[in-house]
Amino acid sequence: MARAREAPAARPGGDDTLDGLLALVARGDEQAFAELYQRVAAPVFGLVSKVVRNPSQSEEVTQEVFVELWRTASRFDPARGSARSWIMTCAHRRAVDRVRSSESAARRDDLAGRRDQGRPYDEVVEQVEASLEREHVRRGLDALTELQREAVVLAYYGGYTHREISELLGVPSGTVKTRLRDGLIRLRDHLGVDA
Amino acid sequence: MSSDLHTLTGAYAADALSETERLAFERHLDACPACDQEVRELTETAARLGSVVALPPPAALWDRVRAEAAATRQPPGPTPLSGRGRRRFPPLLAAAAALLLVAAISVTVLNLGLPGQGGRSEGPVDLVAAVLSAPDARRIAAKPGPTGQVAVVVSRRRGQAVFEASGLPEVPAARTYQLWVVDRSGPRPAGLVEPGGAGKVTRLLEGRVTGSEQVAMTVERRGGAARPTSEPVVVVDLRA
Repeated sequence: MARAREAPAARPGGDDTLDGLLALVARGDEQAFAELYQRVAAPVFGLVSKVVRNPSQSEEVTQEVFVELWRTASRFDPARGSARSWIMTCAHRRAVDRVRSSESAARRDDLAGRRDQGRPYDEVVEQVEASLEREHVRRGLDALTELQREAVVLAYYGGYTHREISELLGVPSGTVKTRLRDGLIRLRDHLGVDA
Repeated sequence: MSSDLHTLTGAYAADALSETERLAFERHLDACPACDQEVRELTETAARLGSVVALPPPAALWDRVRAEAAATRQPPGPTPLSGRGRRRFPPLLAAAAALLLVAAISVTVLNLGLPGQGGRSEGPVDLVAAVLSAPDARRIAAKPGPTGQVAVVVSRRRGQAVFEASGLPEVPAARTYQLWVVDRSGPRPAGLVEPGGAGKVTRLLEGRVTGSEQVAMTVERRGGAARPTSEPVVVVDLRA
């Protein structure tokens, strides 16, 4: 872990340095926590905002996510995946929990609204700007079939369950499940993810 | 059944399962290395989707995060780094953080209070017995459902209630059942539930219960939450 402590400056943005930071955070290192926040606050807040949509609630959820990271950093197991993925999973789970618990009625209206407004994919495309990673991910989404893409975007960015997606797209929920799997597998292959 | 479960890796990685489905699938993952591996890969993939919608948060958010973290104790974990003291947070921006700190401390106290009570039959045994045998004890059962048989026994005169369950499904190691007493001012935490053999639990609800509330149980992260973060898996209406 001493190695990890020296590593951050040398490898900015690398996930291995996030691993090291998490290990320090697990030991109560507040400077490491500050550094971790600096490193991942924007992806966490961006994802939470995408799913939760309400700005003040997005801030609340982001705060919950970081306090949870602070409390549970010792449970991160580098053998089971990258630190970034662990953090984003925590953020996504919290965001989804929030929209499902507090806004179920509002969400149903929203579900109807979205159907009228057209493809949620367009929203994502707008935000996907010119960075290599964004371009890479955008191409990956483009390479999916329309149904795969809609299922992935509604589930991940919209926070919808497979049942809600099934209702929204008018296809059986079994089809949604398989499209989610097929879509993410294709995206995995496009992005060259290994875990 | 398992061939059907195998197709859930994508929905799981994208958090598109209901709470019940998610728990069932996590049990499957413990037993299916192929799905477990696929879930890891698809979770990494989903995280990439998350990273590309980055948005810098308002600067003030860090002060709140720092204040709450500073007041939140970490569970006992690895030994501290030898020869180095803990590196503390830089001094707080006092005024703005003070109020938040108070809120955070109450959350912390709650978190600290809970883990010690993770046993099977919580609450002193004689208190449980006193409620169950109180002359005015009322037993209100929930409709039998996927969470087994659940009932609450309340004594209005004692201002206490006991939660009873059998056949509670196991939750994954990272999660726990949590009880809530819900009145007009909202839910307040009433203790954690770790089912024993045959999913049996008998425990005293924390705090005052008068019989005009509802008792709810949710699945939360291990250690419990300050507020419910998911839909209840069972609700017992004591007013019924």
